[in-house]
Amino acid sequence: MFITFFYKLKEVGVPVSPTAFLTLQKALDRGLVSTLDDFYTTARAVLVKSERYFDLYDQVFAFCFEGVALPDSSGFEVDEVARAMLDEWLKNPKQLANALGIDPAKLADLSPDELIDYFKQRLKDQEGRHEGGNKWIGTGGTSPVGHSGYHPGGMRVGGESRNKSAVKVANERRYKDYSARGPLTQAMVGEALKRLRNMVPTGPRDEINIHDTIYKTMKNAGEIELVFDRSMRDRLKIILAIDNGGWSMDPYISVVQTLFDYARAQFKEVKTVFFHNTIYDHVWEDPQRYRKPLRVDDFTRRDPETRFIVLGDASMAPYELMAADGSIHVSGRSGKPSIERLRFIAETFAHCVWLNPVQESMWGYTHSIMAISSVFPMFELSLDGLEKAVSRLMIR
Amino acid sequence: MTHNSPSNVRFSGATKYVLDSELAGIVNVSMALEMPLLLKGEPGTGKTMLAYAIAESLDMPLIVLNVKSSMKLIEALYQYDTLTRLNDSRFGDSMREVSNIDDYIKMGKIGQAFTAPHRTVLLIDEIDKADTDFQDDMLDVLDQMQFDIIETDQTIKAVNRPVIIITSNAKKDLSDPFLGRCNFHHIAFPDPKMMRKIIDIHFPDIDKTLAENAINAFFTMRELDGVEKKPATRELINWIRALNADPDFKSRDLIKGELPFLGVLFKKSPDYDRARSLTPRRRLF
Repeated sequence: MFITFFYKLKEVGVPVSPTAFLTLQKALDRGLVSTLDDFYTTARAVLVKSERYFDLYDQVFAFCFEGVALPDSSGFEVDEVARAMLDEWLKNPKQLANALGIDPAKLADLSPDELIDYFKQRLKDQEGRHEGGNKWIGTGGTSPVGHSGYHPGGMRVGGESRNKSAVKVANERRYKDYSARGPLTQAMVGEALKRLRNMVPTGPRDEINIHDTIYKTMKNAGEIELVFDRSMRDRLKIILAIDNGGWSMDPYISVVQTLFDYARAQFKEVKTVFFHNTIYDHVWEDPQRYRKPLRVDDFTRRDPETRFIVLGDASMAPYELMAADGSIHVSGRSGKPSIERLRFIAETFAHCVWLNPVQESMWGYTHSIMAISSVFPMFELSLDGLEKAVSRLMIR
Repeated sequence: MTHNSPSNVRFSGATKYVLDSELAGIVNVSMALEMPLLLKGEPGTGKTMLAYAIAESLDMPLIVLNVKSSMKLIEALYQYDTLTRLNDSRFGDSMREVSNIDDYIKMGKIGQAFTAPHRTVLLIDEIDKADTDFQDDMLDVLDQMQFDIIETDQTIKAVNRPVIIITSNAKKDLSDPFLGRCNFHHIAFPDPKMMRKIIDIHFPDIDKTLAENAINAFFTMRELDGVEKKPATRELINWIRALNADPDFKSRDLIKGELPFLGVLFKKSPDYDRARSLTPRRRLF
């Protein structure tokens, strides 16, 4: 039974090691575990080494010891996405009815649970016949909503009050927010970004190098010789381009704002610019996007070593990206399709990434995401994604 | 207290520490398995305090190693004080014997824990500040419970295996081999119910309405959008202390949304301004 438990953990992606498993056996042998509750805490402390996996652990625990159904492999998050989307669409039932292909009267008869089941069924079907990528609900310019944890207003999963039984505790999924795919906290963002720092010695030699001083002093037979060094400063320049238009980015604005606040203190120069959906000829320095336009063509005059980071859900109607006059703002029409402008930016700055708050598993369903990810290296705006993006930006 | 053998000591909380049963279990398992316990969690969730509480309740000396970013492992083990030796050799007016290197070896915190005559609690605080090399090197030392002093060619072995508590603020990820040799727990931020217990322990004679109102106000303040450094337990305790010390303060003011001493809760000026702008301005007359 414990072996199944162990392998199930491994299977769902909790990094568990055989050594840890043996340690757990040791704990069992010594009689340190007498109840299921003891086992829950002991096994978690011994096997799971990051709170990011506590949620998965809880789910597997509930599955193995109480037979709670494990969400199917198409994604532990599918419920969340479904609920989040449903939430959005409930604001506009007609659109939902159209998307699901049932008539609004029938829709009104379904209970929320039935609706979710129906919706999930549809989601699965879609996965089955994904070829072509344009059959899915939401292709016509509707952005996929949803990323776990950003929709606290959604229905609560396992909504029982706190109880001391381990299985109940596991079912509560207390650690959902900590999971690797969960929402980013400010501290996480800041720390991930710190890795972007590029320290180089600059300025006057005003820092004493103790190690070298001692060494030189020894060499001089005890006559003290002081060795000075330049201090380390950060010289990295960053351009952060933030998509701040449209409701589809709304849930991420606070995260994005944090990213920007943290980044400012950390680099030689951080420029934040704004755009809506995609970039045409201009980006704006002011969040309202009308006072201070910056010409994209002028990017060539900047340091090519600048790291260019885009934050956006990359979700829009295909024509916004592909058509020569695709901009939804009249002033933005220059005759060049946006995708070409993006390509231009990617060529200008060798180090660029696109951070996307839309969950990676959903990217295949949206045409514009696929198109943009062929131009920019794209990463999910999650802790994992951010880390990957940062290491990508640091490649020389 | 006499020498504690690993199997019969059990930790069950201390006078100023509210312990949840889950954490107590994990501490006891880690002590029994003689593995370091790695604690993560937001600042102010009591990671460091746990080590103090264990030391207090088991009556063991506590040795604290505050990890710094530039720290090399050797500093935590021992220091060979070359500078003093150089000075002694130049001026020759000390009691130390210049030719005896042992006189210039000082034990670092880990060294002290190993050489202490009784079992100790060793708190390695904020391990994530150090670089990966530090962590990996430390592992071997903690695993084998011994290290070498190169200068004198001595091996220092732990007399008693210390109870090791390691804290991390998750600034950096720790390496896999490091994690592999620790037990792990993440301390969640206390919920209001737990917080009430904590406050009761710190202020046994506190006015109940004051505690209630202060805790409610505190959790509301934590929910403010865009606050960079959320107030933690430590801030709440200090805040209540400040409220108690103010003779003009009435606990009913808290319900009216009048929150004095916001600076105790918010330590960063943008946060402070934000919190201030959201509470009604205090009247001047």
